[in-house]
Amino acid sequence: MSHLLLSMTVNGEAVQVAAPAHHTLLEVLRYKLDLIGTKQGCDKGDCGACTVQIDGVPQLSCLTLAVHAVGRAVTTVEGLGQQAGGCHPLQDAFDRWNAAQCGFCTPGILLSAEALLRRCAGREPTRLQVCEALAGNLCRCTGYTKIIDAVLDVGRQMAVAAAASAGEVAHAE
Amino acid sequence: MPSEDRERDWQLGKVHRKVDAMERMRGVARYTDDLKLPGMLHAKILRSPHAHARIRGIDLAPALALPGVFAAVTGQDFKIPYGIIPWTPDENALAVDKVCHVGDGVVAIAAIDEDTANAACKAVIVDYEPLRAFFDPEEALAVRDREGTINPYSRKGNVSKHVLLEFGEVDAELAASDLVIEGDYEFGGTTHGAIEPHCAVALVEPSGILTVWSATQVSHYLHRELAKVLELPPHRIRVIQPPLGGAFGGKSEPFDLEFCVAKLAMKTGRPVKLLYTREEVFYAHRGRHPMKMKYRTGFTRDGKIKAVDARTILDGGAYSSFGLVTTYYSGQLLCAPYAFGTYRFDSTRAYTNKPACGPKRGHGSVQPRFAMEIQLDKAAVALGIDPIDLRRRNDIGANTQTINEFRVGSNGFLECLARVEAASGWRERRAKLGYGRGLGVAGSTYISGTNYPIYPNDMPQAGVQICLDRSGRARVFSGANDIGQGSNTMLAVITSEELGLPIEDIRVLSADTDLCPVDLGAYSSRITLMVGNACLDAASKLRRKVCESVAKRWKVPRDRVVLAGRMAIDREDPDRHVDSAQAFQWAEADHGLLGEVGSYNTPKDRHGEYRGGTIGASPAYSFTAHLAEVEVDVETGIVDVKKIWIAHDCGKALSKRIVEGQIEGSTYMGFGEALMEEHGVDPEHRGAHAGPSLLDYRMPTFLDTPELAAMIVEAPDANGPYGAKEAGEGPLHSSIPAIANAIYDAVGIRLDRIPFSPPRVLAALAERRRRELAGELSPHKPGPDHARRSA
Amino acid sequence: MLRLPQFQVESPDTVEGVVAALQRHAGARVIAGGTDILPNLKHFLDTPPVLVSLARVTALRGLQRDDAAGLLRIGAGVTLTQIAEDAQVRALFPSLAHAAGIVASPVIRNMGTLGGNVNLDTRCRYVNQSEFWRGSIGGGCLKSEGNVCHVVPKGRNCVAAMSSDNVPVLISLDANIVLVGPEGRRVLPLADYFHADGVAHTLARPGEVTVELQLPLPAGPRRARYTKWSVRRSIDFPLLSVALRFDLAADSPHAEVLAAKVVVGVLGAKPRVVTRLDEALGKPLSDPAVARIVSEATHAQCKPLDNVPYEAAYRREMLRVYTRRGVEAMVAEG
Ligand SMILES: Cc1cc2nc3c(=O)[nH]c(=O)nc-3n(C[C@H](O)[C@H](O)[C@H](O)COP(=O)(O)OP(=O)(O)OC[C@H]3O[C@@H](n4cnc5c(N)ncnc54)[C@H](O)[C@@H]3O)c2cc1C
Ligand code: SF4
Ligand code: FES
Ligand code: FES
Repeated sequence: MSHLLLSMTVNGEAVQVAAPAHHTLLEVLRYKLDLIGTKQGCDKGDCGACTVQIDGVPQLSCLTLAVHAVGRAVTTVEGLGQQAGGCHPLQDAFDRWNAAQCGFCTPGILLSAEALLRRCAGREPTRLQVCEALAGNLCRCTGYTKIIDAVLDVGRQMAVAAAASAGEVAHAE
Repeated sequence: MPSEDRERDWQLGKVHRKVDAMERMRGVARYTDDLKLPGMLHAKILRSPHAHARIRGIDLAPALALPGVFAAVTGQDFKIPYGIIPWTPDENALAVDKVCHVGDGVVAIAAIDEDTANAACKAVIVDYEPLRAFFDPEEALAVRDREGTINPYSRKGNVSKHVLLEFGEVDAELAASDLVIEGDYEFGGTTHGAIEPHCAVALVEPSGILTVWSATQVSHYLHRELAKVLELPPHRIRVIQPPLGGAFGGKSEPFDLEFCVAKLAMKTGRPVKLLYTREEVFYAHRGRHPMKMKYRTGFTRDGKIKAVDARTILDGGAYSSFGLVTTYYSGQLLCAPYAFGTYRFDSTRAYTNKPACGPKRGHGSVQPRFAMEIQLDKAAVALGIDPIDLRRRNDIGANTQTINEFRVGSNGFLECLARVEAASGWRERRAKLGYGRGLGVAGSTYISGTNYPIYPNDMPQAGVQICLDRSGRARVFSGANDIGQGSNTMLAVITSEELGLPIEDIRVLSADTDLCPVDLGAYSSRITLMVGNACLDAASKLRRKVCESVAKRWKVPRDRVVLAGRMAIDREDPDRHVDSAQAFQWAEADHGLLGEVGSYNTPKDRHGEYRGGTIGASPAYSFTAHLAEVEVDVETGIVDVKKIWIAHDCGKALSKRIVEGQIEGSTYMGFGEALMEEHGVDPEHRGAHAGPSLLDYRMPTFLDTPELAAMIVEAPDANGPYGAKEAGEGPLHSSIPAIANAIYDAVGIRLDRIPFSPPRVLAALAERRRRELAGELSPHKPGPDHARRSA
Repeated sequence: MLRLPQFQVESPDTVEGVVAALQRHAGARVIAGGTDILPNLKHFLDTPPVLVSLARVTALRGLQRDDAAGLLRIGAGVTLTQIAEDAQVRALFPSLAHAAGIVASPVIRNMGTLGGNVNLDTRCRYVNQSEFWRGSIGGGCLKSEGNVCHVVPKGRNCVAAMSSDNVPVLISLDANIVLVGPEGRRVLPLADYFHADGVAHTLARPGEVTVELQLPLPAGPRRARYTKWSVRRSIDFPLLSVALRFDLAADSPHAEVLAAKVVVGVLGAKPRVVTRLDEALGKPLSDPAVARIVSEATHAQCKPLDNVPYEAAYRREMLRVYTRRGVEAMVAEG
C-alpha cells in the first residue's frame, strides 16, 4: 500500500504525515497524529462525533479524505483550548453546566458551537439558532438541555463583552 | 445514614464541576479506542449472515495464508458457555455449532491492521446449513422439538423463562370491581445507542498476566466471565474500564469482542484491539425487550385499584442475557407508586432468532409501566376523575409494603405530582386546550440497586477505599464504573463533604480490578446508594480520625472540629483554623498512614418471602411524575411534543445539575422511544436487521427534542447516603405513557403501541372517526375547525 | 472503523484536468464533498481504482448573476451552506435556498456541494447498507451484487429513489445543467438529465462532469416553495419531497396563476414533473381550488414505493396533504 506525504496545518502547527490515499482525516488525526480528542461514532456521517473545523468551518472528518486536508488548517478539540490560551470559554461553560456526561459527543459539539458563536460575532444566539447549528451532532446522554444552556451562557457573555467594548469605543470617540 | 457531627451540606446539593469532564472536553481522556500499544494487532469478527444455521465446517486456511494475518479463533476455542446471570449460561464467545441470529460471531482474526483483518474474514469459508428461523415469539414458543429450539443450551424449547406470581384473589376482586379496564399493549424494541461503539484491547504481560481494557459498565462481571471462559485464575486477569462514551445498559455484560481480544493476545503474544463498527453494536444489542402485554385492571367507583392482572410475552432474542431478571422485572417492579388490592402477573420470555435483548435504562419495567399508566388514564376517563387525582388516590405512601411484599421507605410521589401539576398549569390550562392540543400525566418508581448481587454471596455489595496524604489530598479507589452518569464525581462529592476538601483535591481512581476494591458495576441504578454508602463509611471514619487529632492539639472536644473549605475549623471559635494538609499531618502522626475502607451491604428485610421475592427488592425506591404537552396534527398524524415537565424524587440530590442531567437524559430517551425509535429485524428478508445504523435507527436530534423542565424532589431515604436514591433510570419510565395520555387528551385516541408513528396516529384517528359516525362515540372535545380537518 | 476500499486520489485543478483524469482511469469516480460517495464506498457499493477530486478546481466555486444571459450561475462546487445563505439566491430563488438549507445537517451542508447533490446516487433501504448486511438478505440486488429487486420482486429495473432535496426545486425553476466531457460542453434542461433506472439514473456520459447549474432569472412575479418531510428534523434524507412554483399575473397571492409547476422527488429513480395542472391556470393562487387541483393531481400521479424506509401508502397519502399545505402556506405568506 503506497503512502502519500500529506502536509497540513493542525491546530496551528505545520505537520507532515504519511497515509494511504484511502484514509480519512479522522483516521489520520486519531491514529497517526494521536489527536484522540476527535471521536468516531458511526464513521459515515450519521452522528457528528468526528466534527472538526477545516479552515474554520465545521466538517465531518469521517467523510473527509485525508488528502482533502492538504494545505488547509484543521482545528480539533485539542486546538480549541490552545486557541483560547488553555481553556475555551465553551469548555468552561460545558464544565459548569455539566453539559458533558460521557463526553463522547462533546468535542464535535464544541467545534460546531464555536463556529456558531464566531458567526454570531457578539450577537446573542437564540435557543433555536443553537439547536439548528448543533443539529448534526447527536448526544445520547444529556437530552441536549444542559448543552443548550451552556452555549447560550457563553453567547450571552460574548454579547455582553461585545456591547461593553462597543461602549468603550463609543466613549473613546 | 447522615453522619451527625459534621458541618451539614457544605457540598451537598451544590453545582459541581465533574472530576473528569475537563479532560474529556480537552480531548486528552483516553477512551478504549484511544489506547495504542506497541506492536498492537487489530482484530475483526466474521459474523453470520444467517438468522439460524448449523455450522458444518469452517476453513480458516485461506485466511491464515494471507500476509499480515497473525491468528484466528473460532467457537472451538471458547467451548465454555457464559452468561451474565449465573443460572443461564447460554452463549459462547463465538458460535460453536450453530448461529442464532444475523450478526452472531463465528470467527475472529487478528492481523496487522483492520483492512487485513477484514480481507482475512472474507477469505474464511464457512459451510452453513440453514435452519428454520423464528422471528415471532409466540410462534417460537409453540415449537417444542429439538430441531426448532433456537438456543443450543435451552432445556425448555424456546421458553427462556416463565414467571407466574399471584398476590391475593385477583379473579374474585376483578369480578367485584366497579370498572374493569382491559387493554392490549405492544412495546416495540429499542436500543441504547451510546455514541461510543464497543471496543476492547488485551495485553498479555511477560509474567503471563492478562490485562483487558474494555468499554464495559461491569468490569467485575467481565473479570469473572473471562476467568471462566479462558480458564485462567481470576488473579491472573486485570480488567480496566477506561473512560466510557455512554452505555445505558448496552455494555453491562461480556461481549464476544472481550473474549476474542484476550484469546488472540494469548495466542499471538501481542496486544490486540477490536473496535465494533456501528453495525456490530446493533448486533450486540441487549436493548429493550419487545413486549406484548395484556392487562386487566379492576377499579372501585372512586378510582381505587382493586386488582391488576398482567400477561406478558417478552421477545428475548437468541440468548438469555439478563432475561431471567427481565422476566421478573416485567411484573415485580410495577407495584408502586400505587397500592394494588391484588396482583397477578404471568410473564414468558421467548427465544427468537434476533440479537439478544437485555437491560436498557429502566430495565424490564418501562414496558409494563407504559401499559399500566395508560390503563390508569383510561380508568380516569371512564370514571370521570382527574388523572392526577386518580393517581393520588392510589398513592402507596411512605414506609410501607407493596402487594408483592417489597418494603418501601421514603416516597415523594405526591410531591412529584404536585410539582408537575403546578408547573404545567394543569388545572387552569387543561380544560381550555382545544382539540389537537393536550396534556397527559404518568407516574413511576424505580429501584436504587437490587438487594442481592447477580451471583449469590455474603460479601458486601460495594466497597471503597480512601487514602489521605500529607499534601492535603484524598485518593478514592472504587471499582464502580463511571459511564458518564458522574459516579466518580458523586464519590468526590461525598469525600469532599466529609473531609472538607474541595472537589479538585480529590482523585478518584475507578474500575480497575487490580487497583480498586470489587464493585458490581453500573446497573440497576445502584451506585449512588451502594457505593455512595461505602464511600461515606470510609470517609466518615477518616473524618473522625482527623478531627480527633486536631481536637487533641487544640484541646477541645472532637465535635468542635469541623472540616470544610480545605480547613479544619473550630466551630465555636471560627478564627481558629488550620489547613487540611496540616490537619492530615497531625492525624498521620497520631495514626500512621491514613487509609480507610468502607463497605456497604443491603438490609435483608426488604423483600418477599417467596420464590423470586428477592428479585426487584431494593433498599430504596425513587419516584417520578411526567407531564407532557403535545400537539397532534390530525392530517399528517405527526405528534409534536411541546414540553415535558418532570419531577423526580431522588431522596437527596448530591450534585444538583448532575441529577437534573440524569432526569433530562432519561426523559429524552423515553421521548425517542415513544415517537421514533424502532429496533428489529425484517422477517421478510431472512431476519436481516431493519437498519443497523444511526441513520435508520433514528435518535432525536437537537431539533426534535422538546423542552425538558426537570424538577428535583427530595424525600430522603434512611437507606441512602444522606438520604440519596437513584436518578439515572426512573425518570425515563413515565415519559412514554405521559405522551400517550397527552395524545388522548388532544384528540381522543389511544396509542397502545410504540412508537407513536404518524401512520399509527392516522389509523387510530380514522377508527375514532368511524365510531363517531356510527354514533358509538361523541366528538372528543371542542376546538378550532381546521384542527379537525382530516386527510 | 468502517473501511474504505483502496484507491488512489487525483486532484487536478482544472475541469479539463478532471475530464482527462477520468479518461485515463477506467472506472474512476468524481469526489466533491464526499458526503454521498464515501458512505457508499464504505459500504463497498463500488471499488473505483481512482477518485478524481474536485477540491482544487476553483473554477467550480462561482455563484454569479449573469444579467446578459438572464441567468444565475451556480458552480457545481458551491456548498449547500453557501447556497442557503447567499443573499441573491434567497431573494431570487427562495425555494432553492430553503431546500439547500434543510439537506442533512449543518456539518454535512458545509461539505456537500450542489454538483454532488444533483448527482447524488439513488437510495434504497436494501442497498445503502454494508456489504455484510446485503449478504444477510441473500446477496444484494440489481444495484449491488445481486440480480433481484427487493422492492419490486419481479422487476428488472432498479427503482431506488432519487433523494436529492435540491433536484425537484431546480427542475421546478427550469434549471439547466452544464456538463463538460471528452466531447466538450453541453447544456441540457435538468429535467432531461434523469432517467428511470436506479442503477444509473443520470444521462451523464462517461467522463462527463457537472460544472454548473443555471437558473433563469424570474421573468415576472411568482411564488415558489419546497416541502420536505422526514421523521427527524435534521440528518434524515427526505421521505417526501415536493417543489412548487407558480408564475402569477401580479405580485400578490390573489393574482391569477399563469403557469404552475410541481416536481416530486423520492419516488423512483427519476423526479416526477406533475402534469395536467391546466385547470389551475387563470385562477387566483389564493382560490382554494388551486391548492386542491394541484394536490389532487400530485396525489394521483405520484406513487411512492417501499424503497426508502417508511410506509409507501402513508407517504402517498401525505403527498396530497403536503402539496396542498405548500400552496396554502404561499398564500398565507402573502
Ligand atoms: C447522514 C446524511 C444525510 C444526508 N441527508 C441528505 C438530505 O437530507 N438531502 C440530500 O439531498 N442529501 C442528503 N445527503 C447526501 C449528501 O450529503 C448531499 O446530497 C450532498 O449534497 C452531496 O454532495 P457532495 O459534494 O458531498 O457529493 P459527493 O459525495 O462528493 O458526490 C456524490 C455523487 O456525485 C458525483 N459528483 C459529485 N460532484 C460531481 C460533479 N461535479 N459532476 C459529476 N458528478 C459529480 C460523485 O461521483 C458521486 O457519485 C445526506 C448524506 C448523509 C451522510
Ligand atoms: S430498488 Fe430494487 S434493485 Fe434498486 S436498490 Fe432497491 S432493491 Fe436494489
Ligand atoms: S463518526 Fe463521523 S459522523 Fe459519525
Ligand atoms: S455526553 Fe454522552 S453522548 Fe453526549
